[in-house]
Amino acid sequence: MEAKDLDILQNFNILYLEDDQNLRGHTSDALEDFVNTIYPVSTSKEALDILQNNKIDVIVSDILLENENGIEFLKQLKEEKNINIPAIVTTAHADTKYLLDAIKLKVENYIIKPININELLDTLYATLLPVFQETQIQKNNNIIKTISAITDSKQVEVINYIFDNLSNDNIFIGSYSDIMMEVNISKPTLIKLFKELSNKEIVTKVQHKTYRFDEQALEKLS
Amino acid sequence: MLKKIFSYFDNISFSYKTNFLIFIITTGMIGITILSEVSIFSLKHDFNNLFEKRTKSLIKLEELKDTYNVNIYDTFYDIQKGNIPYEHVTEVITLAKQLIDNNWNTYKEKLVNKDYEPSYLSSIVSKIYPIYYVPKNNILQKRTIKNIEKKITTINKLMSKILLSLINNKKSGANELVDTLYIEINSINTYITSLINYDLKLAINEKNKTDEIFDIVIIISIISIIFIFLFSIILSVIIINNFKKLHNSLEYKVDKKTTQLQQLNNSLEKKITIEVTNNRKKDIIMFQQAKLAAMGEMLQNIAHQWRQPLGSLTMIIQSFQTKMKHGKLTNDFMDRKVSDALLLSSNMSNTLDDFGNFFNPNKVKTRFLLKDCIEHSLELSKYLLEKEQISFFLFIKDDININGFYNELSHVFLNIISNSKDALIQNNKDSDKIIHIIIKKIHDRAQIIMIDNGGGISDNIIQKVFEPYYTTKYKDSGTGIGLYMSKQIIEKHMLGTISCRNVKHRLGTRTLHNGVKFIINIPMEQKD
Repeated sequence: MEAKDLDILQNFNILYLEDDQNLRGHTSDALEDFVNTIYPVSTSKEALDILQNNKIDVIVSDILLENENGIEFLKQLKEEKNINIPAIVTTAHADTKYLLDAIKLKVENYIIKPININELLDTLYATLLPVFQETQIQKNNNIIKTISAITDSKQVEVINYIFDNLSNDNIFIGSYSDIMMEVNISKPTLIKLFKELSNKEIVTKVQHKTYRFDEQALEKLS
Repeated sequence: MLKKIFSYFDNISFSYKTNFLIFIITTGMIGITILSEVSIFSLKHDFNNLFEKRTKSLIKLEELKDTYNVNIYDTFYDIQKGNIPYEHVTEVITLAKQLIDNNWNTYKEKLVNKDYEPSYLSSIVSKIYPIYYVPKNNILQKRTIKNIEKKITTINKLMSKILLSLINNKKSGANELVDTLYIEINSINTYITSLINYDLKLAINEKNKTDEIFDIVIIISIISIIFIFLFSIILSVIIINNFKKLHNSLEYKVDKKTTQLQQLNNSLEKKITIEVTNNRKKDIIMFQQAKLAAMGEMLQNIAHQWRQPLGSLTMIIQSFQTKMKHGKLTNDFMDRKVSDALLLSSNMSNTLDDFGNFFNPNKVKTRFLLKDCIEHSLELSKYLLEKEQISFFLFIKDDININGFYNELSHVFLNIISNSKDALIQNNKDSDKIIHIIIKKIHDRAQIIMIDNGGGISDNIIQKVFEPYYTTKYKDSGTGIGLYMSKQIIEKHMLGTISCRNVKHRLGTRTLHNGVKFIINIPMEQKD
């Protein structure tokens, strides 16, 4: 399994809803080093307050609160306030009753107390990774678009064409004329581009009209 | 034949035998008495008869003879001698005649008189039993009597002739006549004597007859006495034998029954001991189950009480690791976390002590506040009550000190709370679940009232709730021993009372609720 880069958690804010003062304090102490900000609260009222004034990426909530129910609170958030923030519930009860409610609410995960901090971090990572990746992709797209705006747009179009036609094992099959039919580019420019890619071992010729894209080469460059 | 009779007597029932014996003895006695009385009177009658009839008639005849001899013969002799005057003679003769007539008539009367018939008994006896008997020679008697009568008239005629001749002074004719008279008198005397002899013979005969009858009667009565005596003895022997038989058979039966009873007794004793030990085992198992059930609940409580600090402790331990990773493990952080952890662990330890004390079979009476005991019980069951969203209220009207078994009383409260909790869960799913506990002082007693709104107990069950092994719950949740144990604790150990009934109560709300009210009375001063 790939090693998790828990550093991505540093980008997120967590709302932590737990009625036991001791546990709340200690868990916050443990989590604060991993995340941007942790907002520990003991009641749903405080939680709503925090939600309205801060950007919250994930909610960690206990199910049995003092005179309240964490699941009820989450339900209220989703159905009444229309706030869709991923949620993780913690509970001392491995009770199917709560589990079913949690599944219905599409709660992201379910942690049985006592909380294992690694399990919690993994869960947070699993929950927040798609969010992180989405922002990351958005960022890269923006970078590419910016780069293509300031460099030769024809070459970017060719690279785009190659990546669009890559097979699953990173093999591109096609001739210069195939590319030239799609992209309005002169043959010498095209040859120059392939040579440059070949020199940097990014796209190497395997046999006639067959090229391999090497992802590793990109890593080496940066 | 005799054997048949005996066997017949042997076979008839006992009461018949006794009745028969009594009948025989009674009739025998009566028979003998009557027979002896009758025979005594009859014999007396016969003897009287004999005497009256025979002797008197003999006397008459003797008198007749005497009259002839003395009066007539002597008178005429005197006349012959000329010793007496004629006038005198007539008088004497007339008198003599009268005497003769009189005696003769009396004799004849006696002959035909019915009074002198022999008694009925003797006639019957003589009929049944032919006695040697000289028959009456009636013809001889009649002839003799006729002759005598003839002689009497002849003598009378002679005397009249003599007297006539005497009057006519014909002394020689008279003397001749007197001689004839002498002859006549002699002959009449002979007749009379033969009659007397005859009568004497009869008398002797009759006497013999009476003697014989007497002998027969005596023999009959002796025989009958012997017969009755023998019969009574035989019957008595039979009855005594019967008694013996009966006694033996009864003894045998009693012995048999006694051995049977003893066997039954022995087997019963065995059965009883087996059943008693079984019951004891069952009791022990039930008590253990009840204890286990209570322990299970307590364990749930402990688990709950431990869960929170355990979570915190886990987090503290892990936080060291994470801080270390980030190089933020400072002395200050460490001190803070360690002191927190120590506090948490000491709380956990206290929890254990609390429950440990509860299960400690503390058999020493202590003085404690009733309030503390109830609050402790509520604290112990708080988790389960809160889990089921049951609200409970404690009203303390008087601070009461009690000398008794703290843990046992706590058990009782826990038990009733647990029962209320079960009833509330089962019967009161929608509305508020409430338990009220009230403590107050009534004279020298402490009263604890526990009311819930769990719907109450149905009438046919409420009388049995304190009975052992009575449970309305499913097998896994109830042993039926809880309230029984509670009653034992309150009544035997605390010398108080416990009762329950269905009530309608507002329980601090606006509506009336159906529920159960448990009332516990405990004397404040407990005697050891």
